[in-house]
Amino acid sequence: MTIDWITVTAQIINFLILVWLLQHFLYQPITNAMQRREEHIAERLEEAEKREQEADQRAQDYREKSERLEQDTEQIQQRAEREADRKKKELLNEAREEVSKTRSNWQTQVRDEKEDFLNNLRHQTTDTVAIVARKALGDLADSALEEQIVQSFIARLQSLDEKSRKSIVKEGEKVTISSAFELDSSVRGKLTRAVHKHLEEHLEVDYRQSPELLCGVELSSGGTSLGWNLANYLEAVDNTMADAFSPVEIEKEEA
Amino acid sequence: MDITPDSIILWQYGKFSLNATIAYTWLVIGLLTVSSWLVTRRLSTATEISRWQNLLEVVVTGIRDQIEQVSRQQPGQFLPFVGTLFLYISVANLLNVVPGYMAPTGSLSTTTALALCVFIAVPLYGIASEGPIAYFRQYLQPTWFMLPFNVLGEISRTIALAVRLYGNIMSGTVIAGILLSLTPYFFPVVMQLLGLLTGQIQAYIFAVLAMVYIASATSAHQQQEKRTSTQSS
Repeated sequence: MTIDWITVTAQIINFLILVWLLQHFLYQPITNAMQRREEHIAERLEEAEKREQEADQRAQDYREKSERLEQDTEQIQQRAEREADRKKKELLNEAREEVSKTRSNWQTQVRDEKEDFLNNLRHQTTDTVAIVARKALGDLADSALEEQIVQSFIARLQSLDEKSRKSIVKEGEKVTISSAFELDSSVRGKLTRAVHKHLEEHLEVDYRQSPELLCGVELSSGGTSLGWNLANYLEAVDNTMADAFSPVEIEKEEA
Repeated sequence: MDITPDSIILWQYGKFSLNATIAYTWLVIGLLTVSSWLVTRRLSTATEISRWQNLLEVVVTGIRDQIEQVSRQQPGQFLPFVGTLFLYISVANLLNVVPGYMAPTGSLSTTTALALCVFIAVPLYGIASEGPIAYFRQYLQPTWFMLPFNVLGEISRTIALAVRLYGNIMSGTVIAGILLSLTPYFFPVVMQLLGLLTGQIQAYIFAVLAMVYIASATSAHQQQEKRTSTQSS
């Protein structure tokens, strides 16, 4: 239990030196290093947080953008659909118009063709009937037939009403009887007598031969004429033919 | 039988003599300093650190935490003094396992020196923290009549500090020596192990007591401050 005061002094100095040494080599560097590392870690954490926020923000942005894009796409699609609808209707209308135009053109054409055809037919029929009739009448024409024609003419004269008679007979004018063939004197007398009897007494009668009548007798005075000939009949045939074709025309138009 | 390393003279030149206490103290100082320097010259501030750095960080952090727990103050200003007390005593006792080594803490001169350091450090910290008037007024608490007892208490606790450490370490060495002559081979080893444990405990006790004395000197003003702050709030 002895205290060596020199050693005590030395130990105090030693201890103070050790305090300084450890402060210099141990506590300060370690504390600083730990502090720096903590700061470093805090910084990293902060950075990570910032980055996360940024990422969140960016994700949000992308989400919004994609939503917007989707909406845009939908709008564009709708617009395109509307446009397509409109276009379709337009095209349909156009097509319809074109079809109706074509149809009307076609109908016009058909009508024209039909008219042409009918005209041709009429002409041909008329011609044919005329030719046939001409040939037949030409072959048949003889005195008997003449007699018959004259009889018919006289019958017609008889059947004339007062008004027609008045229109034919004009004061101071003579009547002309045209015939397709040469009338002999007995027939002429017969006719003259019939005229005198049924139209006017003492009326002057002139006789003339005109081959365009085909076959028949015609009485003419001034502007009016009365007679019986084949040309009139053939005209009637012509009219009948035209009437016969017209119903067909209407039916086709309806179709 | 030598029971104190003071009396072992390792080297003498005229009047100057180097006894074992000082020599082994230098050894401890050198060991602590060199190992610290070896580690701290290459400190890493990244998240990956070396094992040695990790060890030192654990040690320093542990000391700081202890200081904080005991003093309830920021450990920064107490760390060099209290930490060095602990590390020095701890390493000095730990090296007892080395044959031929004698712990300098087994010398009453060393423990007296350390206790004197504490004895001086307490008023220094107290004055630095409270100011001289406030610090010395503590000796008059609760009345001026208590002044001699306060001073006596201050001195006696310093002596107790020195004798406690010296007695524990010295007794460990002495017991080991006695047992070695009585029952060699096995039992002294057990006692030596016990001595290691005792040494660490004593290091801890010495440092914590020093911290408690310093804290009691520095906390009076803070308690007052706390009281006024709670009153004002």
